[in-house]
Amino acid sequence: MRSTPRLFAAALAIAAAATARADVVEATATTVVTAGQQLRGALTGQTPELDTVLPAYELVTVTARDVRNPLFQNLEVVVAGWGSYDLGEVRWSAGTTDKYTGDLTTGYVRGQLFDRALTLRAGRAFVVAGAGRMLQLDGADLLVRLPAGVSLSAFGGLPVAQRFRTRAGEKSWNPTGGDLAYGGRLGWSLALPGAFGRGLDLGASAVVVTDGGETVRQDAGLDLRFQPVAGLVFTGSGTYALEAGRLAEVGVAALWSATRKTFVTVDFRKLAPDLFLSRASILSVFTDKERTDVGGGVRYQLTEAVNVGLDAHLLLQPTGVGSTTENGYEASARAEWEHGHTRVGGEVTSLASGGLGAEQNGYVGGRLFGRRELGRAFLAGDVQLYAIKQAINGSTQSLTGSLSAGYLLAGGWSAVLAGRAGVTPFLERQADLMVKLVYHQTYRVREVK
Amino acid sequence: MNRHLLLAVAAAFLAACAAKDTKPAAQADPPYVFPHSPHVEGDVDCTACHAAIVKDSRLEARVRHVALPRKNSDVCNGCHDDKDFKAKVKLAIPARTRGFEVRFNHAAHLAKPGVTCTGCHQAPPEAGQTQPSRLSMSACTACHEHQADYAAGKCTPCHVDLKRYEKPVAAFQHAGDFMKTHGGLARPTAESCAACHDQTFCADCHSGTTAPARQSVLFPEAVQRDFIHRGDYQSRHQIEAGANPASCRKCHGSAFCDSCHTQRNLTQSSALQPNNPHPAGWGTLGSGDFHGAAARKNIVACAACHDNGAASICVLCHRVGGLASDPVARPNGPHPASFVSRHKGDDKTRTATCLVCHPN
Repeated sequence: MRSTPRLFAAALAIAAAATARADVVEATATTVVTAGQQLRGALTGQTPELDTVLPAYELVTVTARDVRNPLFQNLEVVVAGWGSYDLGEVRWSAGTTDKYTGDLTTGYVRGQLFDRALTLRAGRAFVVAGAGRMLQLDGADLLVRLPAGVSLSAFGGLPVAQRFRTRAGEKSWNPTGGDLAYGGRLGWSLALPGAFGRGLDLGASAVVVTDGGETVRQDAGLDLRFQPVAGLVFTGSGTYALEAGRLAEVGVAALWSATRKTFVTVDFRKLAPDLFLSRASILSVFTDKERTDVGGGVRYQLTEAVNVGLDAHLLLQPTGVGSTTENGYEASARAEWEHGHTRVGGEVTSLASGGLGAEQNGYVGGRLFGRRELGRAFLAGDVQLYAIKQAINGSTQSLTGSLSAGYLLAGGWSAVLAGRAGVTPFLERQADLMVKLVYHQTYRVREVK
Repeated sequence: MNRHLLLAVAAAFLAACAAKDTKPAAQADPPYVFPHSPHVEGDVDCTACHAAIVKDSRLEARVRHVALPRKNSDVCNGCHDDKDFKAKVKLAIPARTRGFEVRFNHAAHLAKPGVTCTGCHQAPPEAGQTQPSRLSMSACTACHEHQADYAAGKCTPCHVDLKRYEKPVAAFQHAGDFMKTHGGLARPTAESCAACHDQTFCADCHSGTTAPARQSVLFPEAVQRDFIHRGDYQSRHQIEAGANPASCRKCHGSAFCDSCHTQRNLTQSSALQPNNPHPAGWGTLGSGDFHGAAARKNIVACAACHDNGAASICVLCHRVGGLASDPVARPNGPHPASFVSRHKGDDKTRTATCLVCHPN
């Protein structure tokens, strides 16, 4: 397994060096200390324990753009990482039994050559385009922009592994798994005259992930974006799992700016969840069921200050018996009011889907939130209430709320104090506190208007 | 183990903060030598010097798109007929080292009726300037509607890179339920996203493997943002995982689920007598809650605890010769029809996964 601390240190060293020759440097440091309780264990018939957790985080992001150099155009160095120390018990999501932990979330050097026709990147980044499915890699990628709107991209590297050490040894949280990934995408863009942005983007891509030589993923994909007129965009993509010989994912959507105040979306997706598991997993051989969801949404600017929205999707889910399906749904309605320095919103959400057994479970939830700027200070709060159909841990209700206050200090510094409390199926009483100090500054040597 | 990490973080951050004072001034191109304004006001045709631009479909780095008139040309002599001018003024085209920030097709635009150079270049560069006078985007938006492009995040047809700019956030808000639609837009146009967004922005939500905590925990004050997993997600996660199991799997591997489930004694590995999350009838064939149907329905939920390779609990019964093995009643074992048709005649000793249940 790679040594993340060394990787982290190397990335930071590169970032530090790059800042001295960059035209624009953005630096953010966020210090967060939270305090609360988390549930632990308990065997059947026993009362669970409550552990007090008190993690302190330091999150740092440094971005240096237009780094002067004799070779690359637009050379940039991006590093984002964090370190933490658990002052109390180790939190469940630390991923390690150590009090100290941390990771590099993003870290790459990116530059362009040949009048920006070739873009190169090396480091820790996501594969966004095509069938990549946001594959997080330690590796490198390139994008070649060829004549006639043709582009070619390729990537290769190691799927990002879990941070330092896990309590069960070297066990990765990476959803992809595997120790090698590579692939690429061939794209073609055609600009159509008449309205800016009109055009067609087409792509064919492939992703291969292996683990010790065994196939984890072997997918081929197609993607499309078509904007026939100014306000109408169609998107579509499909991923075919070559090893399983089935479609892993298909999705199409239409996005329509019907009027200046109205935005409508319609979408359809079909998924085979088992094809999101590693093909090297024992569990990948038990099922081939697919799920479909279809629906859409509308957003409407009711007045200058008020916008409302409605989304609804029908979920067609397998029952697990033969090829029969059952219906679920998800729906939400949302309204937001913004006037001057005040913003208030509310939403109602409902979801019904197949549960672990034969019974459907679901919830109806409501949320109210608001934020008010008061000069250099602000107040923000939200309340969420969920009514759960089938009891979870003997309870059918969850009520949580948070209240935050912040102040913009001088020199790019700001401070936030937040509290959260609630009654949930897992905690009869829950209370958390958070203190945060943020530093954000952008340095510009060369002014870009 | 990682004490050095905090020191490294602090050192890098201090270096970034100190950059403001230590950086040398940016290297600039040589200054412009031609006073454009009086010539524009004197109705001198721009193409007298910039003839080639009429045919240029793209802006090229290190190219000025300038060709000076020949010596003693009428273009200059029409006004500058004094001998002193000819002796004193020596024009040279200054080198251009920087690339362009936009892509622009002059040929296509200048061919349109009514389009003039000064319609966009309202403040051409003057002698002594080291940077060109940049155009306002209103020069574009006066003719081009951008609403749909904002919605689609489509900037790269014109902009080379937008990350260095202060972004007018209100103008660039993505329309509709962007949480749901952005994935479909990003697949074919990831380059457009990258024009404004560093991958640190994507990582806020997508780095399930490397993130320190949920965004809603770290930024509770951002109540207006569409954070996923907001509030008491612990109580809702199994319902949402039932609705869309694949969505969990895009960011979280089995070990992530196991990390909490183990501490809650929900997994067999955590204790001799674990809390049993399964309903009654889970092991009873024919019951409404039989695990076989549940596994076919949502195998990803099983993977949250049982994705343990050869040590998986499924293997105990479903391996060849196991308790659930019945070559007569279930000749294909637990495999669905598509699996059998795909792997019929395969060498079962080919992979370690097959060998777990098919040792011979």
